[in-house]
Amino acid sequence: MEKALRRPSLETLGLGSVLGIFKRGVLPAETSDLVDRVFGAGGDRGCLVISGANGIVGAGKTMQLASRLIPYGITIAALDFPGAPAGLSKQFSGLARSFGKEQAAQIISNVVQFTYDGSHLPKQLAALKPRFLLEAVPEILEIKKSHYQMFHAAFPEIEIRSVTSGFPARELGVGVAHPAFPHEINKVFEVVEPKPSPITQLLWSLGLIPVMVSDDWSFVLDVLFCGVMLASCRYNAATNMPAWKIDKYVRELVGPGPFRAHDAIGAKGANFLTWSCLDHLAQKYGELFTPTKSLVDHKQSGQDWYPPNHLRPMVNWTLDDIEKQEFRTWILGPLFQMTSLLLHEKRSELSQMNAIGEMCAQFRQGVIALARWYGSEKVTRTVEAYHQLHPAAANSPWYPEEFTKMDSAEWQQLYVNAEHDGTVGVITFARESYNQDVDIELNQAIDWLKGEGIERVIVTSDFHLATQLVGADTSDFFPALEDQAKGVALSQKWSQTARRLHDEFATSVGFVNGKRCLGGFLELLQHCHYVVAVESADLGMPEVTLPVVPGMEGCHWMFRKSSPESWPKVLSLLLEGRSVKATTALGWLVDYSGPLTECVRTCWSIARGESALQRRAVNANRLTGVFTEPKGIAPVTGPGLQAARQAILESIRNSCSAPLSEAITIQARHSGAFMSSTACRTGAVGLAFAKTASV
Amino acid sequence: MIKNDSALSRVRIPYGAWGSSYFPAWQASPLAEVNIGQFAAEAMARILGKRKVPTSNLDYLVSGSTIPWHWKFWNSPLLSTCLGERTPGYHVEQACATGLQAIAVAASEVQCSCYDAVGVLTFDRTSDSSVGVFPERRTNQRTAVISDVWDNFGFDPATAGSMLVTAGLAARKYKLDRKEIDEITYCRYQQYFAAKDAGFLKRFIVPLEVLNAQGKVVGCLDSDAGVRQVTLESLRSMNEMDTCVTSGAQTHPSDGMATLLVTSVDKAAELSSKPEIEIRLMAKVDVRTSPGLMPEAPTMAVQKLLSQAGLTLNDIAVVKSHNPFSVNDAVFSKIMDYDWIKMNRTGCSLVWGHPQGPTLTRIVIEALEEAVELGGGYVVVMGCAAGDVGIAALFEVA
Repeated sequence: MEKALRRPSLETLGLGSVLGIFKRGVLPAETSDLVDRVFGAGGDRGCLVISGANGIVGAGKTMQLASRLIPYGITIAALDFPGAPAGLSKQFSGLARSFGKEQAAQIISNVVQFTYDGSHLPKQLAALKPRFLLEAVPEILEIKKSHYQMFHAAFPEIEIRSVTSGFPARELGVGVAHPAFPHEINKVFEVVEPKPSPITQLLWSLGLIPVMVSDDWSFVLDVLFCGVMLASCRYNAATNMPAWKIDKYVRELVGPGPFRAHDAIGAKGANFLTWSCLDHLAQKYGELFTPTKSLVDHKQSGQDWYPPNHLRPMVNWTLDDIEKQEFRTWILGPLFQMTSLLLHEKRSELSQMNAIGEMCAQFRQGVIALARWYGSEKVTRTVEAYHQLHPAAANSPWYPEEFTKMDSAEWQQLYVNAEHDGTVGVITFARESYNQDVDIELNQAIDWLKGEGIERVIVTSDFHLATQLVGADTSDFFPALEDQAKGVALSQKWSQTARRLHDEFATSVGFVNGKRCLGGFLELLQHCHYVVAVESADLGMPEVTLPVVPGMEGCHWMFRKSSPESWPKVLSLLLEGRSVKATTALGWLVDYSGPLTECVRTCWSIARGESALQRRAVNANRLTGVFTEPKGIAPVTGPGLQAARQAILESIRNSCSAPLSEAITIQARHSGAFMSSTACRTGAVGLAFAKTASV
Repeated sequence: MIKNDSALSRVRIPYGAWGSSYFPAWQASPLAEVNIGQFAAEAMARILGKRKVPTSNLDYLVSGSTIPWHWKFWNSPLLSTCLGERTPGYHVEQACATGLQAIAVAASEVQCSCYDAVGVLTFDRTSDSSVGVFPERRTNQRTAVISDVWDNFGFDPATAGSMLVTAGLAARKYKLDRKEIDEITYCRYQQYFAAKDAGFLKRFIVPLEVLNAQGKVVGCLDSDAGVRQVTLESLRSMNEMDTCVTSGAQTHPSDGMATLLVTSVDKAAELSSKPEIEIRLMAKVDVRTSPGLMPEAPTMAVQKLLSQAGLTLNDIAVVKSHNPFSVNDAVFSKIMDYDWIKMNRTGCSLVWGHPQGPTLTRIVIEALEEAVELGGGYVVVMGCAAGDVGIAALFEVA
């Protein structure tokens, strides 16, 4: 009997549970099978057509899909007007950076470019046997519909997905696969289909992140992205604060810089798309979504929101406490009201709705998690206060009751889920970086499994939203930059959570199933009794390069768990910040490494107590004899790195030479103290703080 | 006689929808290094934002300045862009009368029913003033070069005299007493600092942080920098540059901006922070006096204004002058038989400096604030301008 704390994210794609993957010992779908189903098998294999291929979306997706489909022999037919600007060729430099020139050239050589007049398809296209059309033509319904008719007439069996950001599938007559900016690297697609199709599962299998959303006007991403833009425009209209400064305050409050984002995407197109989404939403839901005059003006003029260089701003704007409160109301009020609509209409699973904001709209914390921090009562008060400022919005849909469900598992486990079969549990992360939300949810997941009597657990990413584990979310360090005690407390708390994986389960297995596991997440998984990693995974402790001092016991736990012969490697990992391949970390970071399927099976057999793998014990005593000056470590460059190395060495020395019971506090002190140092405040964390949290 | 129901009947000035920067003395603040037009427009948006007046209310923008600034050719439309809107408008310029002339022009735009809300934005930067090169081949020099602020202070082409000389001439004509001049000057400083200490300036002046090209704050305009307390002794000890003209008894160049709105009746009610206060511009007059007697011109303008309005100074609640020289106030007092202590009770340009374009706009704002504090009444604002011109306007605060 399988149980889950909340519905597994993977299940929404028709791919079962994460627990199911371990139980079956195989992934729920094979890429080659899905390629056959979508494009035809063997000699009958057809091609992928991307129309509007020279546009921002079309060009990005052409490169992203071409690079992934090339091993399967799928040709990409890139279709556009003869006069379209050469968007595809601009992609080559990025492709070369990622894959090297040779492979990039190979990928490009598999893209066949066609031009057409918009109403007649090129005759040569038929020879490539188009099977799947990803349409990225202008956001005008009639143009899109006639485009589909043209393809259906020529290729009756073709599957079509639109990249539209606003039109429901029912209006288009085809499914939707709405991608997110920046299109060449963002993996998320919002998918509208009656049920997950082989195309959607293929996207997943190719390492992309399809997310099922409901068939409504504008999807989750655009309600949030356009919503925060509209809120910012309204604030501008009410207060005159210029776009560049609103961006700073919005960035500080929630994460995105909406005006800069529009300019960066390309003001002409982005302003039109935002206006288009909002206009359709306003027609259905009323004033809450009505575009402001400034947005209409910018849609028409295509002008940037930021002033040109020669008119760089001269007068600063600052808000006092009362003005800040009003600002929060102007921004969060409509966002929460719009979120209530998304929730009421069940636009997506909560965890996915939340993730879309973080992965596609630059929210530091997804809007669901943000609402959760505020609490139901404060959310309601914020929206009501917004209605005082903008009374017309009160006539639009507003469902405060949606926020009264915050105690449910769907609300409480946005980032961390747990499943079990009565014997073995699986804890999964749906977020690639560790933050205080993840920490709280991880504790709740452990509590739930313990409550269910589960003593054996596998800890891993969710095979869907998190394709890698990149370490701590450094924005959680911002308060510690100015208050050492906050840094110490953060380190202590997260370390205590990590220790639960070691102390409270009979067997725990940390499994790196994605392409990398770094920093805080590596420290966390090291607390598991066993660590399994796919052979291609990179493992590393890049803290020294930021610089910060590892604060989840990285400075002593790995030494305690490895033999003295391995200590130089651990030292190198910590002091140089370079990653190592999982296969080279066997015996000191990793207990097993191999192909994905083998790893899945190994995890399961360890968790069930059926593996012969020896558990590496954690030495709880004082460690001695290793911590002289490190040898063979690459020389340092820059004062920040020098200071970080010294601080990390100090932390290693002091936490290793203490017994395990005391080391947790000692290393937390070192980590917290360094966060308030000049080296940290002038390093990457400090710069990020200055950019995002200091207006 | 001006009748309340006929003169500029459609025009109101919404209370509170106004403000100015401080006026730092020339070279004493980051304003010495900025494009003052762009700065003023951004500051206007900031000030109106503080007053909860969205700039989208503006139908039109009347700008005013006297010293060339970069991109001046584009004048009001560019300034409108810098404050975040795309309203039409144009630029007015009449030396030191600009700040009041711009208000009058805005009023006429509203009165002829063209617009409901006209922004008035005046500004100038005397620091590092621009230098003009004029190819004039018929002159002896063939090419004339003029430093826009200082050369104009020093030379009136119509009379070949300087501004300073006009003050000396007026002092001699009216047989002014140096002792009284020093007392007026001292009184004006006392009045300014008393008003400042009482928080009067904070009602309408918004401190403004100035950014450099990298977006870093390079300074904050949070005082009329350069204005210091004076003593009667120090004023008395100063050398005369001309009759009754010392460095203490004349104003100093400064930089700054000021803004207010001129609107229709309904719009004023909508935009005013205190709609119950009604402010009307009743009339404005200009006069031109004899060559070289500029300081007497404002008095003549007031005489003409009161005569047309059918009022006397006894009917006026607030009298405020742009007084680049203490001589101006002494002449006014002597001709009008008016106690100079009753004038300029909350400060004046003699003390806080003279950036030219915005000077009279700030004076109008100060005068209207003072009238509101007094519970209303008539307000007379006057000033002199290059070319021996005097300007005066009558407002009613109800």
